[in-house]
Amino acid sequence: MNWLTLVVLPGAGIALLVVLARWLGFNTQPVLTGPDEARTIAHDALVAFHAEQAAIGADARAALVAGRDGRVALVRPHGDRWIVRVANGARVTRSGDTLTVALDEPLFAPVQLKLATDAAGWAARLEAKP
Amino acid sequence: MKFPDPVQIAVPFFILLIIIEMVAVKRGARGAYDWRDSATSLTMGMGSTLAGLLSAGIVAGLAFWFWQHRLFDIPIAWWSGILCFVLDDFAYYVFHRTAHRIRWFWASHVIHHSSQHYNLSTALRQTWTGFISLGFIFRLPLFLIGFPPALVFFCAALNLVYQFWIHTEVVKRLPWGLEAWLNTPSHHRVHHGTNPRYLDRNYAGVFIVWDRWLGTFEPEHDDEPVRYGIVKNLPTFNPLWTATHEWVGIAKDVWHAPSWKARWMYIAGPPGWTPDGSRDTADVIRAAWEQEQAQAQAAE
Repeated sequence: MNWLTLVVLPGAGIALLVVLARWLGFNTQPVLTGPDEARTIAHDALVAFHAEQAAIGADARAALVAGRDGRVALVRPHGDRWIVRVANGARVTRSGDTLTVALDEPLFAPVQLKLATDAAGWAARLEAKP
Repeated sequence: MKFPDPVQIAVPFFILLIIIEMVAVKRGARGAYDWRDSATSLTMGMGSTLAGLLSAGIVAGLAFWFWQHRLFDIPIAWWSGILCFVLDDFAYYVFHRTAHRIRWFWASHVIHHSSQHYNLSTALRQTWTGFISLGFIFRLPLFLIGFPPALVFFCAALNLVYQFWIHTEVVKRLPWGLEAWLNTPSHHRVHHGTNPRYLDRNYAGVFIVWDRWLGTFEPEHDDEPVRYGIVKNLPTFNPLWTATHEWVGIAKDVWHAPSWKARWMYIAGPPGWTPDGSRDTADVIRAAWEQEQAQAQAAE
């Protein structure tokens, strides 16, 4: 065992596989097809979450989903998948019809959503406790 | 007797099989890859090997100490090899079940489940903190029984190598009744699922019979595709955070805990336990789902 077998060769193997994965096109970004998909994603990810209204960002790469119990789910991409968080109590800043939602969670980047309607209403929902 | 290292022999085949799976998926086979996800998984695998080397001396020392106080003198032979492999697999089952049910062990094991993908690169997404979580203690009884450490470590490595190939969506079901007694891609897909029905099921390493026997078996349902990952999926591909996030979570919870009982439960309770029930354990998630199912059936 030496640095060659412990680090250099495995590192080269990893680099080979990662480059190959990119070259084969495994670097897609997910896009929401509509409110129904956002609702389904939120329902599947959160316990006893009954999705009602959903608002999708203009780029279809993030969404807010209101639950029957007052919770608001934030749906955002991670790689080619989605992650979901309950976003009530998040820091929300509004600039016109664009919301920036920042959660108090390490390495969870703030999410920007340009909403077609009712950005103020969604901001109020996010500030409310469920 | 000196045994070969099955893992070292298998590594080139691991790489080859990952390449074959990637190409197969690209050509339409069931499965998915994301280059960022695979980069994290492979980096975790390499880090796990390095971390394992750091603690190997202590683990081997403990193994020999227990073996010196053994109950029986078990020779290295074909029959003891088979017996050791089966018992080691049962020890793995007990470890694995504990790793999902006690947060201290989960903090280390969660790394393996932290990918939302299920492919051969996921198999290599392994912990860096296995020694800290004391996962090795589950094999100590084998040395105390009298199995020579070299034999146990050889069987454990074979078990690890076996578990590589079952991390795939390409293989649907195995033929010839193998699904009845072996851990297969189908059974292990269930294990990686976050669907309430699939949570904390199919802990087996090689033989699924342990799950069938001890009531933790769940078959894969073709009408319910597995959603891979963890209940609260990670928002980053950062390997360091992947390796440590649950330990950081434990530290924060223990620091802010309202009582000593709560501190203990944050460490030794199930993942998701909180004194006020503000998070969900696997049992709570399953119960909520079962209630939802019952209500839906009653409404029909």
